[in-house]
Formats: sequence, C-alpha cells, structure tokens
Amino acid sequence: MRYWVGGLIAFVLALVQASSVQQFHILGVIPNLLLVLLTAWLVVRGLDDVLPMIGVAGISLGLIGLQAPGLVLLALLPLAGLGVIRELRVVHSDFLLFLVLVAAATVLYESVMVLGVMLAGGGHDLVAAFTRDMVPATVVNVAIAPPVYLVMRLARPDPRGRRLSY
Amino acid sequence: MTARTLAWTGFLAVAAFVLLVAGRLAALDPVENLTLTLTSPVQRILHDATTPIANWVNDVTDASGLSAENKRLRADNERLMTELARAREDAVQLRKLQDATGIKQQFPNDTFVAASVVARDSSNARRMVAISRGRSDGVKDGMIVVTEGHSLVGTVTKTFDGYAWVTLITDPTSAVSAMVQSSRAEGVVAGNYGGSLNMEFVGQGAAVQDGDFVITSGIGGGYPPGIVIGRVSAVATAGQDLFQKVKVDHLASLDKLEQVLVLTSFLPKTFAQP
Repeated sequence: MRYWVGGLIAFVLALVQASSVQQFHILGVIPNLLLVLLTAWLVVRGLDDVLPMIGVAGISLGLIGLQAPGLVLLALLPLAGLGVIRELRVVHSDFLLFLVLVAAATVLYESVMVLGVMLAGGGHDLVAAFTRDMVPATVVNVAIAPPVYLVMRLARPDPRGRRLSY
Repeated sequence: MTARTLAWTGFLAVAAFVLLVAGRLAALDPVENLTLTLTSPVQRILHDATTPIANWVNDVTDASGLSAENKRLRADNERLMTELARAREDAVQLRKLQDATGIKQQFPNDTFVAASVVARDSSNARRMVAISRGRSDGVKDGMIVVTEGHSLVGTVTKTFDGYAWVTLITDPTSAVSAMVQSSRAEGVVAGNYGGSLNMEFVGQGAAVQDGDFVITSGIGGGYPPGIVIGRVSAVATAGQDLFQKVKVDHLASLDKLEQVLVLTSFLPKTFAQP
C-alpha cells in the first residue's frame, strides 16, 4: 500500500474518532475505534503497513482531539512491539491474536495517557484509573473489535486473505 | 523485525519525544490553531451526523442509570420548585435591604463572552473542550467558564487567536477551592478518572449531607466565590481517616456541552510572597 493512502486513511480515522466516536460513552468510556482499526490493520496486513499510519494517526488525533500529539503518538507506539508478537506466530488463530492484541494495546495506550495526566500534576488515584478507565476501555474496545476485524478481512486485497480464520 | 521496520519505529519514537518537547514549549500552538480552524467545520458536520446514533446507544447502554436519574430528577424538581418560590421571596427582601443599606452586589459588573463548543478531548483520561472564542475575543488563560445557567464548567488553559481550550472541572488535573453552601465546610473539589468529582480535605467534624450544594469558596484567588459546582451525592466517613470522602455530582451536563459563557471580568489572582 502506498504511504500516502495509509496516511490519508489514518487522518480520516483520527477525524472520525475526534468528531463522532467521542460522543459514545459506553461503560463510562469512549471506544477507541482508531486503536482497534490500527490493530486490525496490523494483524491483517502487517507491521510495515501500519507503522506510517501510526505516525499520522497519532499526530492527527493529538491535533484534532485536543491532546498532546507527542503523547498520543507515544501511546500508539506499543503497537509496533505488539506487531513483533504477530510475526512470532505464537497464536495460530488470527482472530484470537487480534482480540489479545486489542486488549494489550488498549491497556498500554490508556497507561501512557494516565501517565501523561500524572506528569501534568493530577490523577494520582491509580485505583480509579484502573477501574474507571483501563478496565472499561479494554472491555469496550474488545467488544467492538469483531466487526472491525470482519470488515478488515473482507477488504483485504489478496483474495486468499478474505477467508475468515478462527 | 526488518531494518525498515526498526527504522520506522525509531523514527516514530524520536518524533514522539520531539513533539512532546515542542508541545511543552508551545511551539505547536500555531499548528493546533490552524488544525482547529480547518477541521472544526468538518468536525461539526460529523458530530451532528452521529449525534442521534450516539444518543440512542448511550441511552440503551445506560438504561438503568436513566431510570434512577429520572426518579431523582422528579424528587429534585418538586424540592426545587418549593425552594424557588422561597428564594424569590428572599431576593425581594434582599434587594430591599441592599437599597436601604447601600450594599453593592458581589459582582455587579460581570461580563461574559458566549462561545460554542467546537471540539472535545477524545481520550478517556482527560476532560477538555475547545470553544469558538480566543485571544481576539478577549479570552485569556485562567478565565472561568460557566454554563448558561452559571454553574461551573472549568478554566481556560490555552488560548489561540480564534479558539481556546477549556479544562473541565472533571479533568483529573483540575482542583477548585470549594465549600458546602449550607455548613460552609471547606475543601477542594478535584476531578478524577471517569469524569467524577470528589471533595477532598473535608474534616471529619464538618457537617456535610447528601444533596448539599457545593460552591466555589474563592480561597486562593483562582475562582470567584459563590459559583455553583454541584451537589453532594455521597458522604463516607471512616473513623481512622482524617477527612471525609465526599462525592459531588456536577450540575452541568459536561459531556454534552454546546454553549458556554467565559467570565471575562475575572482573572485569577496571583499572590506575591510576603
């Protein structure tokens, strides 16, 4: 995939996340569709494809979504490390691997964001951070993950990739 | 992991740290202002298009909460109607007394700038909004933002030419000097994760009850006194604790703010060391 196409998709995703998705409050948290889509992209298309998208998505979401672009980029960066797990093929099922990676990516993402709040001088209640932020965010992101995975699988250009694997 | 992947990862890590430093030095302000200017119309369209769906999903996933809230609001409505009638009578008496004694109102010359919310923080950890007024409209860092009903929303923490960022009182970095209206018990209302508010440093002996109104105390000079923050929704006292655990429900619906007022006649006071 050409870089500019990936960049454009990442920018649009960030715009949708900041404008539309942020209105949804499920279990008291906002679903992170951007993170789930990037993780799906990682599992279906590979790390090389998703890295440039992480860059554009992080900076765009930071600028559009009233966050520090550097912090969002830093929070998305663990996806690169999780991509290595994908390459190792420790789990045979792509779908199961995807769900595990979504959960892990969410915990890491929210941890970085909480760390950012604490460095800004607030939010030292780690129990509240865990119970009201990390846990519900992980549950919600894993819940919205299956349809995202299905769409990514069906949109894969390689016809062999369109077979769903469990 | 290929060399190209490693190079990309390294580049992104360096970019993240450079952007963090640039953000701290306010070097990204022009870019943030330009981005908000360019994307806010598109954001508004996307926001409005998905609002009905979001409202429906939020209602469905919070059905039990809505039922409880409805019950509480009915009880509140009855009580408030009674209080309103009493307050109107008190206001008439107060005005007569002020006229007779020559006492001035607390803020006779308050000026406000009305603004629309144009963007919201999309993370779970922070609670911020962007408003459609900025430096060119006289908005400055530290100014207080309230709802149209004059309950506290937050503080302006970053200003651009045509926009400003407002940190809401529910943000985990927010802390407001406050007091319980009825007993005058003082404390600090602090934001927490999940958009909740806690009143901290309320001594064990202080009289605090469910339903009490919490207002700004004005101590510290960061906020003018008397602005309504919310109502006490739970009080927990444990013998071994120094302070009571007081939960406060904010009056304003901060997740659905559309219009706000910036109090331009008040700026936080900075006190010099004696």
